[in-house]
Amino acid sequence: MSDLQIQNLHMHFSGVRALDDVSFEVNEGEIFSLIGPNGSGKSTLFNCINGFCKPQQGSMIYNNINLKTIKPHEIVKEGISRTFQNLQNVPYMTLLENVLLGAHRRLTIQDTINRWFSQKEREREEALALEIMDFLGIANFEKKYLSGQPYGIQKLVEIARALICKPKLILMDEPAAGMNDQETLEIAKIISEIRDVLGITVLVVEHDMKLVMSISDQICVLDSGKILAMGKPDEVKNDPDVIKVFLGDEAHA
Amino acid sequence: MIKGRYDDENLKWIPVLIIAVYLFPFLLKSATFSYKYYLYIFNIAGVYIILTVGLDILSGFTGLMSLGHAAFLAIGAYTSAILVDQIGLPFELSLIITPIIVGICGFVIGFPALRIEGMYLGLTTMGFGFIVKRLIIAFREWTGGAGGLHVSKATFFGYTIRNDWDNYFMIYTFAILAIIIARRIVKSKLGRAFMAIRDSEQAAQASGINLAKYKMMSFFISGMFAGFAGVLFAHTNHFISTDHFDILLSIFFIVMVLVGGVGSIYGAVLGTLFIVLMENMFIPLFEDGMSQFVHLEAGEFQVFIFGLIMLLFIIFQPQGLYGMWLKMRIYWKIFPFNPKKRFT
Amino acid sequence: MKKMTVMISILLLFIACGKQAPTPGVTDTEILIGNIQDLSGPMKELGAVLPAGSNLYFQYINEQGGVHGRQIKMIVEDHQYNPQKAVVAAKKLIEKDQVFCLYHVIGTSTCEAIRPILAETKTPLIAPATQSGTMSDLSRTAGDLIFHTDTGYDKQTNILIDYILNNDSNAKIGLIYQDDDYGENVLKGAGEAESRHSISVQKEAFQRGATDFTGQVGNLIKGSATHVIIAGVVKEPIIVMKTASAMGFSPQFFGTSPTMDHRVALAAGPAGEGFIAANFADLWNSDASEAVHYRELCDKYEVPEAYMGMYHFYGYITAKVLVEGLERAGKNPTRNRLINGMETLKKWDSGAFPPITYNSNDHAGTESVILVQIKDGVQTVITDWID
Ligand SMILES: Nc1ncnc2c1ncn2[C@@H]1O[C@H](COP(=O)(O)OP(=O)(O)OP(=O)(O)O)[C@@H](O)[C@H]1O
Ligand SMILES: [Mg+2]
Repeated sequence: MSDLQIQNLHMHFSGVRALDDVSFEVNEGEIFSLIGPNGSGKSTLFNCINGFCKPQQGSMIYNNINLKTIKPHEIVKEGISRTFQNLQNVPYMTLLENVLLGAHRRLTIQDTINRWFSQKEREREEALALEIMDFLGIANFEKKYLSGQPYGIQKLVEIARALICKPKLILMDEPAAGMNDQETLEIAKIISEIRDVLGITVLVVEHDMKLVMSISDQICVLDSGKILAMGKPDEVKNDPDVIKVFLGDEAHA
Repeated sequence: MIKGRYDDENLKWIPVLIIAVYLFPFLLKSATFSYKYYLYIFNIAGVYIILTVGLDILSGFTGLMSLGHAAFLAIGAYTSAILVDQIGLPFELSLIITPIIVGICGFVIGFPALRIEGMYLGLTTMGFGFIVKRLIIAFREWTGGAGGLHVSKATFFGYTIRNDWDNYFMIYTFAILAIIIARRIVKSKLGRAFMAIRDSEQAAQASGINLAKYKMMSFFISGMFAGFAGVLFAHTNHFISTDHFDILLSIFFIVMVLVGGVGSIYGAVLGTLFIVLMENMFIPLFEDGMSQFVHLEAGEFQVFIFGLIMLLFIIFQPQGLYGMWLKMRIYWKIFPFNPKKRFT
Repeated sequence: MKKMTVMISILLLFIACGKQAPTPGVTDTEILIGNIQDLSGPMKELGAVLPAGSNLYFQYINEQGGVHGRQIKMIVEDHQYNPQKAVVAAKKLIEKDQVFCLYHVIGTSTCEAIRPILAETKTPLIAPATQSGTMSDLSRTAGDLIFHTDTGYDKQTNILIDYILNNDSNAKIGLIYQDDDYGENVLKGAGEAESRHSISVQKEAFQRGATDFTGQVGNLIKGSATHVIIAGVVKEPIIVMKTASAMGFSPQFFGTSPTMDHRVALAAGPAGEGFIAANFADLWNSDASEAVHYRELCDKYEVPEAYMGMYHFYGYITAKVLVEGLERAGKNPTRNRLINGMETLKKWDSGAFPPITYNSNDHAGTESVILVQIKDGVQTVITDWID
């Protein structure tokens, strides 16, 4: 059964065609990767799904819900959460608080008020976050302020924040960017676990080919806003167009 | 593992501090004849603390500049004066109703905040301050116009708060309450939402935070604190006039928050105490000391010291008021380094 | 044991607090007076000149041996025209410096703001430096402690309207007023005069700091006013009269006491010719007995030329009223005796103010003005005291 359907999506910023007739489907329980050179429109696609950008044409349906008409802050209610390419978190809150930020929708006013008066409630709320942080292996740092923490940890905090709201689909924008090899392996493991253990569908943008090839069920290649190729990792790997774009890209770099 | 999570808040010394606040007047009384004068200055600081703590929630935590807080204070003061003295509501009731009214005013002023940001928001709220002043003068049957309004003493469940001594205990009880509530707010879901709005609107939205709703909420809460301060201001000063609430006072409030450290409730408290004591006690003290050595026209030294403070600010904040706002927005991002600059 | 001593010493301190000096601010050799001026705010020019004028008179009195052998010493505090700061200053003067009384505090809202502390400590305020009629309102807080010397704006407006109608019973009167506490007080006077004479005055408001009066003047032309009272400060009468003359409108202009300033004569030029302003005291350069004495003292103590003028003289002459009150408070002055002493003034001639009368039902002091007209660009007194 298909989960997220993107059809004929067009998005341009005053002349720049960031997305040009993009269509694909993400099935439930899949790890779906989006790859493509810089500026090919991957983040823009996320921003469209997320409601930050309003595509000029096309449709985005998730579980029979039209994402085009939903406000950015309501997306999470539909079970979609995301992380960002550039760190987007609150430096002067503790790790724990940053993670709890993601639980915003889950905590009712009643919870908040209870929490004021009861140590137990406070602990219950934190237990939520600690569970996720434990899953990602950052539970030991929970009381530290985020500012000054290593980049890798900050990235994981963002993932934790996206996970705490119990999404059904998570959008991850370059989770392994700026990480060393070992950390990248870690991330690969985490992404698999998110799908396998938590049962969350993953839509991931990534530049690291090794990582993408090892974990993806499906890969979609974008170039200048157009879909260049789509399919299983092996099919994409051997696609001549893809090789041309990526080798050309690497030859430049 | 979960236990003791709030160690970093160092809750242990807070009861000690609260007791110290209550013992202070007795100490002062035994130390000096003119304790009433000093108490009065502390009373001013106490009222302002309630306001700046609320301003900090708005400007420090949510990153929304306000140069209209003197006007919120004015609305609170006049509303309470009218409710109690002219409509005849009990003071205790006004303590509840007035902050809500001022909160609603804050809510209304918050509307522009959805569209404009930064200095422009500062200018808009400043304009609001001028409008409030004119409105107070226009409704002279109620407000006494520009001539000001004498306000009755507070009666608290039959007990009349008569003088600075009584005022001190009332004001600081409420100030402590305000600080505790503010701390609770910023340490809750609300506070996290505010800080997320300040530091990353995208992350806030992706976490399900309705920017409009929470910006307005921040204005509402901040307005409520200011309204509460206004009630105490009116009923402990016993006289209010439009001359009290000028733009300079709004700027001073921002300076208090800034000096103390943006985005920290205790910072706002310290900053307020620092500025109020500096202005009313230390500068005159220096002045007296200095005048033995050099001849100073009265008033000159105060101007000099405030000039110096401002100068120090300008050295560290070369863009002046605009920089102040910038500082508020990016303070946390450059402290102690700027992750954005480093990683993109 | 150590604890005991500490406890006892603290106890002693508490007891010491209970005892206060019999009369604050009065020693065998000195009387301490508190004054609150605007030293660094919008009116700081006056803040320097007014106390200098007062001190000129105190210096003269002190050299004569003081009041009942006590030298007068004045402490000046700053309020920057901010009521809150005025309260801080008043509390400092009364609680910390322990002054005997307050004197010549400037500003309406600032004087209003310190009423509660005056009442609480029973401290008299002599000669507040404001012409607001509310100062002599005995029904207000601390009304019994405040002795006003200046004729209020409401009274001034009354007198001006009476004067106009006396000279021309068909006069159509226009009024331009500042939309603040000053204007409110003027309006009160105008209202009283309106009902007394059953006339109606055409009222035009302006905002403090306004520089364009074409609208107001235009309205007055439409209302065909023959006499116009300008309740402004210095700038407003100049601009109004110039605007009127440019628009071909030439009624007889009048002004309340703040417009009685030589700068009006200087700057308004031909448009200001004939302008009549009310004033609550004789001119410093007139032949009034105290004005003559004032100029002698200025010579003697080498007062800088820049200080000499109506404001310096105003400080000087109110000081004379205060000293008279202190004299009448007797050899062992208390705050109560000062109040009683002040209330014995009956048609007392200060030599520059109109005759001053106080009693327990009246703290207004004076209710008359003189009129000063600009003739050939020179301010000339045209009436005696009128009321
Ligand atoms: N808000 C915007 N306004 C104008 N142009 C934009 C905006 N957002 C993206 N673009 C443009 O759209 C194109 C696609 O950008 P996008 O950020 O989606 O690329 P990307 O595939 O995520 O690249 P990278 O690998 O560098 O993250 C770029 O040319 C970019 O300049
Ligand atoms: Mg991108």
